This record gives sequence, C-alpha cells and structure tokens, in this order.
Amino acid sequence: MALFAVFQTTFLLTLLSLRTHQSEVLAEHLPLTPEALKVSVNSAQQCLHLQWTVHNLPYNQEFKMIFQIQISRTETSNVIWMGNYSTTMKRNETVHWSWESELPLECAAHFVRIRSVVDDARFPEWNFWSSWSSWQEVNVQDSTGQDTLFVFPKDKLVEEGSNITICYISGNIQNDISCYLEGEQIHGEQLDPHVSTFKLENVPFIRKGGTNIYCEEKQRKAISNGTVLFVSKVLEEPKDFSCETRDFKTLICTWDPGANTALDWSKQPSQSYTLFESYSGKKKHCEEKNRCNWQITQDSQEIYNFTLITENYLRKRSVNLLFNLTHRVHPMSPFSVQFENISATSAVMTWKVHSLGDYFTLLCQVELHGEGKMIQHNVSVKANGKYLLNELEPNTEYVAQVHCADDNHFWKWSEWSGRDFTTPEAAPSEAPDVWRTMKSGSHNVTLFWKPLSKFHANGKILFYNVAVENLDKPSRLEHRSIPAPANSTELTLDGCSYQIRVTASNSAGASPAAVIVVSAAPGNKEIEEEIIEGTEDGFSMSWKPQSGDVMGYVVEWCDRPQDPLCDFQWKKLGPNTTSTVISSDAFRPGVQYNFRIYELSTKRIAHLLERKTGYTRELAPSDNPHVVTNNLTSHSFTLSWKNYSTKSQPAFIRGYHVYLKSKEEQCQPGAEKAVLPDDTVCCQYKIDNPEQKTFTVENLKPESFYEFLVTPHTSFSEGPSGTFTKVRTPDEYPYMLVHVIVPVVICVVLLVCGCLLKSQWMKDKCYPDIPDPYKSSVLSLIKSKENPHRTIMSISDCIPDAIEVVNKQEGSKIQSLGTRKSLTEPELTKLSYLYLLPTEKNYSGPGPCICFENYTYNQAASDCASCGHAPVSPEAPPSQWGLLTSSENLLKALEKNYMNSLGEIPAGETTLNYVSQLASPMSGDKDSLSTNALVPPPCSEYKMQMAVPLCLASPPPTENSDLSSITLLGPSEHYR
Amino acid sequence: MLACLCTVLWHLPAVPALNRTGDPGPGPSIQKTYDLTRYLEHQLRSLAGTYLNYLGPPFNEPDFNPPRLGADTLPRATVNLEVWRSLNDKLRLTQNYEAYSHLLCYLRGLNRQAATAELRHSLAHFCTSLQGLLGSIAGVMATLGYPLPQPLPGTEPTWTPGPAHSDFLQKMDDFWLLKELQTWLWRSAKDFNRLKKKMQPPAAAVTLHLEAHGF
Repeated sequence: MALFAVFQTTFLLTLLSLRTHQSEVLAEHLPLTPEALKVSVNSAQQCLHLQWTVHNLPYNQEFKMIFQIQISRTETSNVIWMGNYSTTMKRNETVHWSWESELPLECAAHFVRIRSVVDDARFPEWNFWSSWSSWQEVNVQDSTGQDTLFVFPKDKLVEEGSNITICYISGNIQNDISCYLEGEQIHGEQLDPHVSTFKLENVPFIRKGGTNIYCEEKQRKAISNGTVLFVSKVLEEPKDFSCETRDFKTLICTWDPGANTALDWSKQPSQSYTLFESYSGKKKHCEEKNRCNWQITQDSQEIYNFTLITENYLRKRSVNLLFNLTHRVHPMSPFSVQFENISATSAVMTWKVHSLGDYFTLLCQVELHGEGKMIQHNVSVKANGKYLLNELEPNTEYVAQVHCADDNHFWKWSEWSGRDFTTPEAAPSEAPDVWRTMKSGSHNVTLFWKPLSKFHANGKILFYNVAVENLDKPSRLEHRSIPAPANSTELTLDGCSYQIRVTASNSAGASPAAVIVVSAAPGNKEIEEEIIEGTEDGFSMSWKPQSGDVMGYVVEWCDRPQDPLCDFQWKKLGPNTTSTVISSDAFRPGVQYNFRIYELSTKRIAHLLERKTGYTRELAPSDNPHVVTNNLTSHSFTLSWKNYSTKSQPAFIRGYHVYLKSKEEQCQPGAEKAVLPDDTVCCQYKIDNPEQKTFTVENLKPESFYEFLVTPHTSFSEGPSGTFTKVRTPDEYPYMLVHVIVPVVICVVLLVCGCLLKSQWMKDKCYPDIPDPYKSSVLSLIKSKENPHRTIMSISDCIPDAIEVVNKQEGSKIQSLGTRKSLTEPELTKLSYLYLLPTEKNYSGPGPCICFENYTYNQAASDCASCGHAPVSPEAPPSQWGLLTSSENLLKALEKNYMNSLGEIPAGETTLNYVSQLASPMSGDKDSLSTNALVPPPCSEYKMQMAVPLCLASPPPTENSDLSSITLLGPSEHYR
Repeated sequence: MLACLCTVLWHLPAVPALNRTGDPGPGPSIQKTYDLTRYLEHQLRSLAGTYLNYLGPPFNEPDFNPPRLGADTLPRATVNLEVWRSLNDKLRLTQNYEAYSHLLCYLRGLNRQAATAELRHSLAHFCTSLQGLLGSIAGVMATLGYPLPQPLPGTEPTWTPGPAHSDFLQKMDDFWLLKELQTWLWRSAKDFNRLKKKMQPPAAAVTLHLEAHGF
C-alpha cells in the first residue's frame, strides 16, 4: 500500500514536471511566426499560390491555427486585402493557400506577409498573434525601361455578365494612350504613372472569336497593343432530362442542352455531357449534345439513378433523374394493320405489336375517323390486336389508326399506325320525299322529289323508278326509270285516279316507295288568298283542319316566283301539325311569295286547304304608274293607269294618291291639301282601291294649267316623288275664233279678186308703158309741119370717120379670147393692169369714136375705159372687164368719174343725150353676169345718136387727171 | 558518267516538251499564271472581307493599319522600284515561288482558328487555288529551265506563336498575312505581265535557256 502511494506521488510529480517543462518550451520559442513563405503566380487564373510552414510548433501533434494574411499592391503600405485562414497543422507541415486577384497580376507588384495564432482550446495560453513574416514581393511583369505597351490580362476567358479589370503598362511611352473595346473608347483610372486600369462590368458575349480590346498612342494614331477577351455564354443546366426504353435493351436519355458555349481560337470547346449512373457506378461520355444511349445490362436492374453532368472550362452543372425502368416504357408503334370482313356497317381491324415480354400488357387505342367524326376505343393487347368496328355507315371512307402504351404503368403512347378503308354501298334506307303539281284544266302532273341525304342514300343514287297505277280501272302498271340526278318528271294522265310510287335505287338496291295519289276530281274550289306577314326568318302560318282523318299536310311555294322555273318547294308536315314556319335562304325582301296548304287524306289524296301570300319585308314602290290623260275638257280630265300591275310590286298596293297642282288656292271637294317633300302645296286625292286605275279630276277652270302626279301607296309608304305632268284645260268658247277669222279671210279673197279684175287699170296707174318714138304724135307733127325730109337718123346715114370694132362677148368671156388659153384670176388681174396702163409708147392720143352713152348704167366710165382713151392693142384681152368687176375701188372711182362727167361736161357741147330709164343692162347680152352691170354695152348694140368728141368725153390720161387709173393702180408701182 | 546521266534524267521533267516540235514556249503558261493571279486577287478580296469581319473591330475597319509586330517572318512583297526592275527572270520567279510557298503555309494556319464551316470552306478553297498558282509558277520556271528553290534546312516557316504571343497579336498577324498576300498578288500580276511581254517571241528564249543548261 505504501509502495502504491509512493508510486502515485512519483507519477504525479513527474507529470507536473513534464507540464512545467512544456510550458517553458512554448514560452521560450514564441511567437510561432510562419516561415519559408513562398509565393508563386498563375497568371491565367490571376492567382497567388502561397505556401509556408511553422517550425516552432512543439510536439508532433496537430494544432488548430489561424493565419492572418495581408496583401499589398504596388508598395507594402498599400494593403488591398487582409483575411484569415484557419487550418490544423503539425510542426513543419506546409500550408497551401491561394488568392485570386481581380487585377491582373502583371499590372502591379504585390506583397504578401502572414502571421499566426494557435486557436486550440487545449492551449489557451498560446492564443495570441505571432509577429508578421517578412514581406514577400511578387512581380510578374517588369516593363521598366521598355518601349512596348502591354495590355493585361492576355486572352482571358470569362463568363458572360461577369466583371473584369484590365490594365495597360506603358513602360517608357510618354504619349497619351486611349483604349477601346470593339471600337468604343473605355475610360479607366491610373494606378501609377505607367499603369492604368479599366473595370469592365457585365461583359457581353459578342462573338466566338473574342472581344477585342486595344490601346493606341494618340499622337501616333497607331495601335500599340491589345488583348482579346473571350466571353463565354453561361453554361445552362440541361432541361427536360428524361430517359425511356422502347425495347428493354437500350435506355434513351434526352434533354435540352441550351446555348452552346464553344469559343474559337481553341479557347473553349462545346460543353461536354456525361451520364453517370450511381447504382452501377458506370459513367458514359455522350457524343451528342442532346441525347445519349445507355445500354441496359442483363443484371435485371430496375431502378436507375442518373446524373447528367455538363461542363465547360468555367462551370459545371448537373441534373439528376431517378426512375424505375418498367415505368419508362415507350412501346414501338404497332405494325401490320389490316381490315377483315368489311361490310356496309362493320369491319374487323387487326394489328401486331412488338413484344415486351410475357408480363407486359399493352393498352392500345383505336381511333376511327369518318364523316367528320372521330370514335375512340381502348383495347388490351398482348401480342396481336383485334377490334370490331361496327355501326359504320355504308359507302363511307374511314381512316382507322392505333397506338399503344404500357398498360401497367402508362408512360407514353407509341406513334400512330393506321390505314383507310371504305364500306360498300347499301340500299337507300328511306323513301324519297315526293310531291306533285297539277296544271289546272289539264291532266298533266309534274312529279317532284328531293334527293336523298347521304345518310339515307347509302351510296350513289343511280336512278329513280316511277310506277303509275290506275285506281279506277284495272290496267297495266306503267313504269318509268329516270336517271339521277333528275328531280322531276311529267306525267300525262287521263281523268282517272292514279297511284304513283317513286323509289330511289343505287347499286345495292331500291329504297322504300313514296306513294302519292292523284285524284280524278281534284275538287279545288276557289279559296281566298290570305295575306300573311313574313319576317327575315320566314313566314309563320297556321291553318284550320277540315277533316279529322288526315295523313298530314303539305305546304308548297316557289322560292323564286318571278322566274319561269320558280324553284318549286314543298314541306310535308304531320297530321297533328296545324302551323309551321316556312323559311328559305332564297327569300328576298320585296318579293311576294304565295303558299298553298294541302291536306293529305288517308287515301293519300291532296286537297287544297288554304292559300297565303306575303312578303318577308315590304319595300316602298320603286316607280309610279304610267298615267294617260283622257277626256280633256275645259272643266275636267281623266287620268288612267290601267297597265300598272299591283301584283309585281315590292309591297301590297293599298291604293293611289293623286296630287294636283294649280294656281287655285282652294282644293276641290274630295281633295285635301298636302305638302310635298319640296315644300310645295298641292291637292291630294286618295284612292283606296288598288284596282281602281282611273280618276277624273273635275271642276277645273278653262284655259288653266294643271300639274298632276299619281303614286301608289302601301301600308307604310308611297311611291317615289316623281315629276308632275302638265295639262292645260281648253278655252270655253272656241267658236268665237271662227266668227272673226272667216269674215277676214273672205274679205281678203274678195280684195284679191277685185285687184285681178282691175289689173290693166292698175298697170296704167302704177307703171305705164314707155312711149314708142316711132309712134309718137310729136314726131308726126314735126314730120308734117316743119321738115318733111327730116327723119330719124339711121345708121346708114352716118358717115363714120373712125370705126372701132368691138368684140361682143358671147357665151363664156374666156371663150371670146379665141385660141388663147384661159387665165387664172391672178393672171387676169395682172394682164388687166398691164393692158390698162396707158404707156407713152402705146398711147396714140385721142381719136374719134362713136359712143352711146347711158349714164344710168355708169356708161361714162365704161366709155372712157373701153372706147375713149384706151385703144388697146389687138392682143389686149377683153378680160380686163373681169378686173373691173372685181375691184370695189374701181367702182368707187367710176362713180366719181360719173359724177365728174355729169358736172364737167358743158351743156352746150352735149348735143343730144338720150337717157333711158328702162334700159335693162341685160338687154344687150343675156349671157352676161349680173356684175356685168358695170360692163359698158358694146357700141354696136345701140344706135348712134350723135358723135361726141372724145376729148370731151374723156380727157387725155395724164398723171394728174386720170383718177380712175390712179385709183385702179392704188399703191402699185406699175404705173411708173 | 552515271552521275551525269542521273543529272540529266533529274532535269528532264524540268524541261517540258523537250522532244516536241512546234513548242509554243513559256508564253501560254505565263499567261495562265498571270490569269490565275488575277483570279486569286478577286477571290482574296472576298475571303479577306469575311475573315476580317470574323476578327471584329478594329481589324475590319477600312483605315486599320497596325504595326507589323509579329509578322516579320512574312515575305515582304514591297520592294524598291529600281530593284524590282533590275531583277532577272530567274530571281523574279524564284522570289514569287518562295513567297507563295511561305504564304501558303501560313494560310493553312488560319484554318485552325476559324470555327465557322463557311469560313473554313472559303479558306480551304483559297488554299487550293494558291497551291495551283504555286504549281503554275513552278511550271513556268521549269519551262524556262530554272530550278525550283530548295528550302534551307531549319528555315521551314512555322506559325506556332511564342509563349508571349497573344491572340490579339495573332489576329494582327492574320491581318498582315492577308495584306501581304494581296500585295504579292498585285506584284505577281506585274511580274508575269513583264515576263509575258519579254517572252515574245518565246521560242528563242527557250532555246537560249536550253543552251544555258548545257544541253
């Protein structure tokens, strides 16, 4: 016991001394400053990798320690980051730590130092900071003294949307430097005189070839250097990751990969996809970006836990999928779809499926499409599917298709497999709807039938059979076959009753017969037409049944009553129906529709029950009647518009309005004042009977103007306001005109007769005959008393001393030229001028001439020109007359000469001037034109009464005295 | 004797149509080479537009003129006019041949960076055409009896960027490659045009060269 106590005391003392020694050791080597600090650089990652150790740690056991790290930039005093790093370490163990710089490490020098503290509860007394290690400098790029500009980081790979800092180091370059990002200048801050930094935030993806950042010296305007920033799109998590099997041999996994993050210049390939299955521990690299096939092994693994991992250089993402293989069965599409036993109403569909094993049952869905309808049926199938398609329609094309899915755990339907088929025809299932029209007064019956609907036709109707049977006397059935698509036929019957049966036939058979009986005595009595009001929806009508035992009713009408074919329609109704609504798309407003309602007896004989007529909507009459005025008297006239048809109007005509305009202010009895739309006031007569188409307007005033207008009116409006027709009433006493006019006419006639009877007297009084000198009494008196030898001077007694030959114009003046060619008017004018010029050379002076003067017809002028002083050469054409007649100036000149002649000729020298007032200018030459009034009659035509000295009659032509010549020449220079 | 025979046989392919009569001379082949340079000029204009757009700004800007930092190894087409005039036919053709040999090698390096299929196709097509031009120049040289220049060992052009060669400088080099290629094509057109004129009549020149070879 004592020994044990001694041993225990010794142990405790030893332990105490050990403890004391340990404390002394720690106290002796403190502080535990980190040593052997090494700093390495990863420029691409912009990371500083630090490693150090603590040599002073006592014992070979782990200590929990905290290291405080300081990082300075450019100089040690510029601490840019400080942080703690906790770890456990043993003595002499090397600690590794990394720090990522946002600034490229090439841009500036960095400095690092560390201190430590023991953070261990076992040694609370050592819980104080050691002294700092010495600064470690990191200088990646030493550009001092270089003339080259550097831009960092080089070819950095970053993710879209991240922030990045770049810098340039200008070295010895003194010029200003500008930097650009894809052509846009960027602005930064100066880190030191040679280094500038630029912070780019939220960098966008621009192109796979990288975003160019470059700097240039402003003075040189030349790019010095640059860098390419490779911005990758953000790697997305695969979406819609799913796996399934179709044959229990392969699992097909698919997903949506999202954006491709590949970059050019070998900076980053497309993201990779890897499939990892955790239960089997297998991994597969997927060749495709959106799908991967996984081989199912035969180890009957049912549960799969897949992880799809996608990664690029910057990011890694994954999605997980846990499933039971049997729940992800996507069967393959069925095959060998066939149809058996196809009839008009049914067919058997068969198909095969790919087997998935004995334990699998497939649910197959059969879809039948036909006639715009779709029917679905579900069938459970092991290997071969079969389904009876019934309730099919004959002669119909169907499409049947089938797809299948796992019956136990539905995952996905397979793709559809299908085919089409057509059911054969069947006999029409219903009798055609038949009706007839009968022309009144004849035995012609027109049968109409409506085509069977597709549902009832059961195929293509080929023809209609009509069988006619005489009901009154036994006879042979008359058959008639009418090819489709005819819908009517005309039968000519005699006065007997007939039963008509109509059937429709297709290739499979005939329909049930439609039976109709045509009675020998239709007994259609006169039935008054009833007006009904229609609406846009149709005509609602009702009728009263006459006999209780009826098969039904028929309403017939025409859809287009104006057309000759009229588009005959009918509607059959049951025996208990006494009202219906007839509607049709063909109904139009303003068209009158007539309806006939028949009652069908049990013997299938039709009796007309009622007649209806109406409009869906009445319209205002579009035109007024053409009115004729009759029986016009001084007090009345009659208006008539008998050609106006009330039936063809767009509304029921209820009557007419006759408007009368007159100067009278008061209307006649029976009329009332009305104001027209143009605010004129007139008298209105109302006619309420639409069939009254004449009207007499009475009590009018004679010799007055009236205007009238006849317009129809309906229940709600009247015809258009047309133009009024004017009528004037005749005078009341027309015979007075006869009393005045007849005496006046008689008087005039008598006066004329009297004048005719006393014509000689009138002649003597008004225009006596010119006395004949031969028969003059004066002459006889002279002859007898003064000089018995003296006689009237005859031409034979005259001894001429000069003879002038004057050509008489006969016929054409041109012709008188003999062989000369006819001259045109200008030529004539020219020649006339020429020949009229009295040139000195040609002028032979005045010569004696015998002239007969007649001043009444401007003889003086003519004489002077032709006879006196114009002895024209033989070549001178007589056409000078034409010139004379054509010149007005000449006329005036001649008049002047004439007046001068009268005034200037001395009376004493004028021995005898015979002036004849009655001498006709036409007397000498009948062929002369009227203008020849100016032409001097040829001398030889008149008997010479005296010789006149030519000098007196026509003075010699001098420049000053020949007025006619001057006038004739006018401004012309010919005279000179 | 055997060596002499071997030498003769070695040079035989370089003297086409030696045994033919009525040899048209180098004229047609020079004309074809000239035509090919013009065609390549046209083709390069399209390719350079596409490729520089792919590089992005500032490389596709019209007035872009970067310093020739890493493109010193590219054969320079620009030469003093007097020097160019004083070049003899052999030297002229040799320079062309050497330049295109180098440029073709560099051009094939572009293909590895281009990612789009369209750009790759255009580059491959142009490389084939340039290979044809090289063959055509070789044909002309052979017609004239000039030997093809042998590459000196160790001077094989490479396009492997150094460790400090950034992608930006690489893009600059690509720019210079296309520019230099264009200048060479212009120069070649002038070279072959000059040769074409000089070789009229071609027959005498061929005879002269054959004699110069010692045949």
